Amino acid sequence: MTTDITEVDDDSAVHPGEHHSHGPTDGQYFTIFWVLVVLTALEVSTEWWTDWFGEGSRKIAVPVLIILMVIKFFLVALYFMHLKFDSPLLKRSFYFGMILAIAVYGIALTAMNFWEDSGSTRFNNPPPVPPPPFCETSQMPGECPAD
Amino acid sequence: MSDLAYEEVEDLEFPDDVHATSTGISNEKLGMWVYLASDCLLFGGMISTYLIYKNRPAEVANLAGSHHIPSDYFDIPFTSMTSFILLMSSLTMVLSVNAIMRGDLTRMRLWLTATAVLGGLFLGGQVYEFTEFLHHGLGFTTNVASSAFFALTGLHGVHVAVGVIMLVSLIALSFRRKMHAEAVEVIGLYWHFVDIVWVLIFTIVYLIP
Repeated sequence: MTTDITEVDDDSAVHPGEHHSHGPTDGQYFTIFWVLVVLTALEVSTEWWTDWFGEGSRKIAVPVLIILMVIKFFLVALYFMHLKFDSPLLKRSFYFGMILAIAVYGIALTAMNFWEDSGSTRFNNPPPVPPPPFCETSQMPGECPAD
Repeated sequence: MSDLAYEEVEDLEFPDDVHATSTGISNEKLGMWVYLASDCLLFGGMISTYLIYKNRPAEVANLAGSHHIPSDYFDIPFTSMTSFILLMSSLTMVLSVNAIMRGDLTRMRLWLTATAVLGGLFLGGQVYEFTEFLHHGLGFTTNVASSAFFALTGLHGVHVAVGVIMLVSLIALSFRRKMHAEAVEVIGLYWHFVDIVWVLIFTIVYLIP
């Protein structure tokens, strides 16, 4: 009788789709870590871009920050969390959850008028101030400022 | 290959059949991923709330408070340092998982201890940051922007604290009973998730103006 672990491993009827790759080595983890450190340093440097490159750099800083954040997110998820080497079921669950979360909160932020008016002074479109609740219900003349 | 050979392989991979499941993924690991997915939605909600209120400290009817906002007091170099500490703790965590997979218990304990210490340092940094905000008069109930900020970063801090407790428990358990590599891996998943959430918070809350 022979026992071939490698042959049975990925195609096993008992554990279909389960991959048993050992993932990166310690050295590769160190490389990924240093990439993350460099990306973080680049992110932090945007804080001083306006001093170094002028006000115009503010416009590109935000897209750059978002791109760097997404790269860091996937580096940690795929390598440190082993998603790249794990079962496809986990990978599919992760992507499904991520897309669902982005959709849900994208809709929520849109419903809250976030994209046109984030409350920042750079947006000249402040939300309308609702009347005080007392005035909506008051029937007595002279009790509301409008009276 | 005979059925006997299949069983033998299974025993090699999954001793005592504790992990034999229909998905091929152990219940513990799948459970952790499901928990992390639910936590994603929780943090997504908190981040969205912060985004909505961050520049509107006193615009909510009947909740008007101080016009100070958390970003007035951000200390980016200091927060960058704490981010670096958390990133480094993720590295030590994967090194401990690799160590236990090689059967090297001593190194696993060493890297787990390093991870717990780095997590503790991050928490210390967060406590210092919160104290500084309080000295500037920005507390949890100052206005909606500060409430959203403290709730988001505080919740993340609680996650880090729970992670440190799990790491310390794991180190203590490793002296008392036989360790399964998967236990370290599952706690590692939690720890990396905490790191991933900080990657998002650091950029969205601290760096994007």
